[in-house]
Amino acid sequence: MENIKILKGFKTPITGMPDLSVIQMPDPETVAVPAVDIPYIRPKLLVKKDEPVKTGTPLFCDKRNKCISYVSPGTGIVKEIVYGEKRRLQEVVITLDKNRGKADDFIQFETVSQNNIDKIPKSKIIQLLQQGGLWQCLREFPAGDTADETHAPPMIIVSLNGNDLFSPHPKVVLENETFFFELGIKILKQFSNRIIVTSRQSSMDRLNKIKDHITHVVPDFYPSWDPSIVLYQLKQSREDNRSWCIQADQLIQVARFLLTGRYPVKRVVTITRSNDKKPHLIVRQGMPVKDLVGSLDNNYTITTGRFKGRSVDFRSHMGFFENTLNIINSNQEEELFGFIKPGLSKPSVSRTFLSCLTKTPKNLDVNMHGEERACINCGYCTNICPNDLTPSFIMKALLSDDIEDALSYGLLDCARCGLCSYVCPSKIELVQILSFGMDSHYKDKE
Amino acid sequence: MNPVKKLLDLGEKHFTGSGKFSGLAPLFDATKTFFFFPSPKTRCTPFVRDNLDLKRFMSFVIISLMPVLIFGIYNTGFQAGLALGESYTFSQSFLLGLRYVLPIIIVTYGVGFFWEILFASIRGHKISEGLLVTGLLFPLTLPATIPLWQVALGISFGVVIGKEVFGGTGRNFLNPALTGRAFLFFSYPVSMSGEVWVAATNTVDGFSGATALSVLAPEGEKITAVLSNSGFSLAELFFGLVPGSIGETSAFCCILGALFLVITKIANFRIIIGGVLGLSITAIIFYLIPGGNESWISAGPLYHLCAGGFLFGISFMATDPVSAPGTNIGRWIFGFLIGFLTITIRVANPAFVEGTMLAILFMNVFAPLLDYIVMKYTISKRIPNV
Repeated sequence: MENIKILKGFKTPITGMPDLSVIQMPDPETVAVPAVDIPYIRPKLLVKKDEPVKTGTPLFCDKRNKCISYVSPGTGIVKEIVYGEKRRLQEVVITLDKNRGKADDFIQFETVSQNNIDKIPKSKIIQLLQQGGLWQCLREFPAGDTADETHAPPMIIVSLNGNDLFSPHPKVVLENETFFFELGIKILKQFSNRIIVTSRQSSMDRLNKIKDHITHVVPDFYPSWDPSIVLYQLKQSREDNRSWCIQADQLIQVARFLLTGRYPVKRVVTITRSNDKKPHLIVRQGMPVKDLVGSLDNNYTITTGRFKGRSVDFRSHMGFFENTLNIINSNQEEELFGFIKPGLSKPSVSRTFLSCLTKTPKNLDVNMHGEERACINCGYCTNICPNDLTPSFIMKALLSDDIEDALSYGLLDCARCGLCSYVCPSKIELVQILSFGMDSHYKDKE
Repeated sequence: MNPVKKLLDLGEKHFTGSGKFSGLAPLFDATKTFFFFPSPKTRCTPFVRDNLDLKRFMSFVIISLMPVLIFGIYNTGFQAGLALGESYTFSQSFLLGLRYVLPIIIVTYGVGFFWEILFASIRGHKISEGLLVTGLLFPLTLPATIPLWQVALGISFGVVIGKEVFGGTGRNFLNPALTGRAFLFFSYPVSMSGEVWVAATNTVDGFSGATALSVLAPEGEKITAVLSNSGFSLAELFFGLVPGSIGETSAFCCILGALFLVITKIANFRIIIGGVLGLSITAIIFYLIPGGNESWISAGPLYHLCAGGFLFGISFMATDPVSAPGTNIGRWIFGFLIGFLTITIRVANPAFVEGTMLAILFMNVFAPLLDYIVMKYTISKRIPNV
């Protein structure tokens, strides 16, 4: 086990850490598979409204590679197909068939036995996973698109922690899953010789058996555990840039699926809220947001990650890749002389607020705390970027359409962790600009 | 409801949309956001944002300038008292100083904001907080006796040519306050030269106070000894009860301000430390060169640090992030070279007794080049990802 030394990141303690207890939630009335949280996908619908679906029926596939399908996490009837702007597919909603009681009507896929899992040809595994709607768990750097099965990755990074500070704790996710986790690692070994398993420092002491598989431990501040950060620390050559990554909870599902031939529908999710300690929840994939957060007034934004996620509508559903909902306060009040208040409870990475003198966890809110201004070159973004980028320089290169310069500054190393936008005193949407630059470069190359 | 809020709400319709004064929308907006801190909801990732914004950023520079400002006002009165041969109490000196300094500050802010509002209204952008700092830095670099029309001219040049023609705060490559000062320095050398620093000169015939840097020792004497005898001992220079520009005289107050800026992470410590290092090392090298005992060549690093405007310049002017390099290595080099150039101009160029202003402006011009070289170097260290 190796410690990765990362110096930069978000180190302010904040409130709202979920409790380690677990509650099993009953099935909701509807589940859905959103398409908006899947990067780069060009969805092609495979079902119609009012069509009955089984658990595991493909709902839509990716036009770019029609083998990659997204399947139904429940048995029932397609209730609604929701489109957004420009008729972009938002989500496919399914009303669960309550009459069936608890049992799902599964589509039975081929199974593999645990003894010969390392002898099955790679192509067979790829085919099974693509049919079963789980191949997309593997993501490929640098863009974060679905892994390209025609190419062998130099390493695969398995991350035990999610995209948010308070994503489900690996202890809860992996507690009784050591068997499937080990099987999953075996499967990954078919694709690459180098499997990296990372965990945050604070998760380590509760991991028991899984601990033996961990190759690298990262510091306990956001976003050290993000696979792109780990990759940046570990890569030695430019070939490493095309490594793959997978979340540990999804690795377990891959293994479970291959062994049972049934699409696994259970997920562990966390709901976080300032000054609250909510338990972990075991739920069905694609739960409605309103069932998870309960009733709220208007002063809240619900996100699937404070720094790296999307803001979700009260009526929408959780995505395939998402396992956290943050309920974050917003402050409507415009403070009198707010710019010069001492700010004992206002978190900041600078030392311009008295809050820097206390170590008590702070509350974050979803307000800008200022207005957009021109970049003043202050260097806050450079000083916090965990991948040693200079976001302000890249931003200027991108805004002047100089993609070559931006790439040479290391644009594709960007982990989209959002810390540059977080700290910017000029409130420039840095990560948005960088992200847009990366995406348009990637789409051009495709 | 807050009465100010009420008033602003009443005025809002006249300044926005098709209101009578919609041309002055930036002015209204600046007033409104001065009272009521704007904090809209975030629209995209990351959904949480740091509490520091540019208003607070610039306000903290203003706060850091307070010791220098208050001491500068007091010293102006104190020096005038000395020249008149009277001993004023602290409050008397302060009030007398205020009579000289306050009009300069008011003219600077008035004229500066006029240009800022004009450009913001024409271009339709918000008024940037950068002017708050420029408008206080500029007066502090001037002698208290400067005619007010020159102040107006100087700040106009600084704001318009130094900043606005390039697109406003954030896009200027020169420090606007120093640009304005340089304009006055070269256009009106008589008002800016080292012989007229003391505010009382217009009241007492024939009195002129020289600054420490214009002192030259007679043949055969040591500069440090002559400095001590003429009221420029190291302690006096450090605490700053000597003639000079309003804000530059007290090394002690500059250090206070610099510490505040570094601790709150508003100014980059690399520039300040680099600058002090550059100055000290260069001063030591010149000190070790034999000969030149009677000039500032052999004054040594401590005298060079405390005399003149170096500490003021390196703490408040060089750390202006816009005109300094954006890379950390670049900042070290930038600071170091400012120190080096300051000494070089002071001792090697007989035309200028003080070199800080020119050194900083010169390095401002080179900041993008430093960034370019440093970026080339850091890119070569990265594993390419293209």
